[in-house]
Amino acid sequence: MSNILIILLGTSILYVFAASRIESYVKTLAFQGLILFLLVILDLKEINWLNIAFLAVETLAIKGFIIPFFLLRVIRKNEIGREVEPYISQFYSMLIASGIFILGFVVAYWSAKIGSGVKPLYFGVSIVLIVASLFLIVNRKRIITHILCYMILENGIFLLSLSVANEMPLLVNLGVLLDLFVGIYLFVIFFNKIQEMFDGNHIDILTELKD
Amino acid sequence: MVSILLFLPVVFGIIVLLSNNKIVTRISLLFIPIIYITVSVLEWFGINWIILPGWLNIYFNFDSIGILFLTVLSIVFLASAIYSIFYFDEHNYSAQQETVYTSTIFLFAAAMAGVLLSTHLALTWVFIEATTLTSALLIYFEKKKSSLEAAWKYIYICSIGITLAFVGIIILSIGSRSFNSLFFSDLYLHAAEINPFWLQISFAFILVGFGTKIGIAPIHAWLPDAHSEAPSPVSAMLSGTLLNTAFLGLIRVQGVMVHAHKESFSNFLLLITGFLSLLISAVFMLQIKNYKRMLAYSSIENMGILFIGIALGKPGIFAAMILLVAHSLSKTSLFLTSGNILHLFKSKKINNVQGLLKKDSITGWIWIISLLSISGLPPFPAFIAKFLIVKAFFAAGLAWLAVPFFILLAVIVYGMGSAFFKMSFGEIEIEDRNKLRLNYSAYAGQIILLFLLLIIGTNIPYAVLNLLKNAAGFLY
Repeated sequence: MSNILIILLGTSILYVFAASRIESYVKTLAFQGLILFLLVILDLKEINWLNIAFLAVETLAIKGFIIPFFLLRVIRKNEIGREVEPYISQFYSMLIASGIFILGFVVAYWSAKIGSGVKPLYFGVSIVLIVASLFLIVNRKRIITHILCYMILENGIFLLSLSVANEMPLLVNLGVLLDLFVGIYLFVIFFNKIQEMFDGNHIDILTELKD
Repeated sequence: MVSILLFLPVVFGIIVLLSNNKIVTRISLLFIPIIYITVSVLEWFGINWIILPGWLNIYFNFDSIGILFLTVLSIVFLASAIYSIFYFDEHNYSAQQETVYTSTIFLFAAAMAGVLLSTHLALTWVFIEATTLTSALLIYFEKKKSSLEAAWKYIYICSIGITLAFVGIIILSIGSRSFNSLFFSDLYLHAAEINPFWLQISFAFILVGFGTKIGIAPIHAWLPDAHSEAPSPVSAMLSGTLLNTAFLGLIRVQGVMVHAHKESFSNFLLLITGFLSLLISAVFMLQIKNYKRMLAYSSIENMGILFIGIALGKPGIFAAMILLVAHSLSKTSLFLTSGNILHLFKSKKINNVQGLLKKDSITGWIWIISLLSISGLPPFPAFIAKFLIVKAFFAAGLAWLAVPFFILLAVIVYGMGSAFFKMSFGEIEIEDRNKLRLNYSAYAGQIILLFLLLIIGTNIPYAVLNLLKNAAGFLY
């Protein structure tokens, strides 16, 4: 079951590569949050209600609902055009995405072979998510897509931490979640200010400072 | 003690916000740094009260190197708090703006104290990210177009960078499955059990992640922008304490490498990035037109030298600790004074500033003496540090590296020196002379810092020497 979910998570990043509308990014984020929640629930070894509640809040509520909803509202309020506007054309992006997937599967195969103790499929797909989101960040012109891709990167890292059996202490998890939440909030505040002051939402307009 | 450092600023931040009163704000702005200094001085002598509940207490503790960094943080915090009062008056900020500024700077300081005190690697990460979030608000405080751009670049680049550090932390936990803990004490104790392959990959990731915050080349892009656009007291805090804070995180991870006897790998990476930073700042130093950006590049240079010092092993790290103190104090003094210059000449361009000594002699002299201190001329401690680093090159059998080291340093000192002298000397119109008297709080912080630097450089007190030695003994 969890393998199918992982494959779905991997496919969602392909969907992001292919999508040309910004709102589909947000939907992907919500979808990823839901899948991460299911993965976490399937992985549970013991029933510890405090832990389950925390994980549900982290994945389902925050990653799957609150942040996507918040970002969707920002996008609609600012009437951002629909196109994502990449630097490299969609066709070559898809080629690169396939390359990243091959890399991910090689890593998964290799991590199983050396007996590192990580879950291979989780590990491989998380590498795919991390590398692909970093690629998307440099390949998109709009600032809002940078924020969305940052969230995909965070989801990749969450999956990476699931691939390791070790658990972080609750205090650390709380801190990470708080940082993520405040970070996204500040990103959006600055994004709104940039819209106001620079009269545009492309990264190319930020050229006031240079040597 | 830990709870004082972490919670008192938060409590006072809330009080200040609620009061919305200038006098309360200013008193608390000076009170919190003084409390910080008191706590660090008490810690020098091992006086420590534990108020925290036990389960929280294992996450925060003082160690020899943390106390040194905390002391530097407190001193820089005080100097920049004193200057902030002049900054408020100069800009005629409303009570609300003052309270927002003060409470954000309290959160920023508490986040930095959290990094210094945390005993868990992932918790260190949490606090380093918290420093990014709080300081981004301070960089945008003047609400100009350029400061918005700087704040956006800062928060985005640092968040991505620090995220990569988290990848490194997870990879480290793959390698340390046998004992399943990311407490530094456990990592040091069981370092030999960590799988060397995963350890080395994780160090590379953490170097990139924390290195982004330290401002090491080639991932320094945010640093000159943020340092030049932030309000001067905030620039001083960024350069004098924030870079150190992330650097401490890296030193603690380097500790894992040392205990696992894999330091040859990490030293190699540190040496390369260190020299690259020196090279980048030397190249840019000769063509910069903006004096605040020049100071920022000088920070990149000094962080590079710190990396080289750490990479050189036991003799280098003592030099690095002296340089760390010297750099923080003199760079704070320089950034605060740059606020005076900005006030006097209303421009950040080097070419628009002339005759500083005649326009305001105190600012001019502080500017020149701080330059002497940062360039490493005797009797200032940076001289001792750089001398010891050259000695460490010889001790490590890398004497040939001292040649590029000297050449790059000479280029940097030449670049800074020529710009500084152009700004300080020269003629101005007679009626401008010493007309614009500044408030005492525009000088007090810098004078304290330069005085401390002179004491450390000429006749170092036993307690301070001990502090430096203990900190240097952290790794080896």
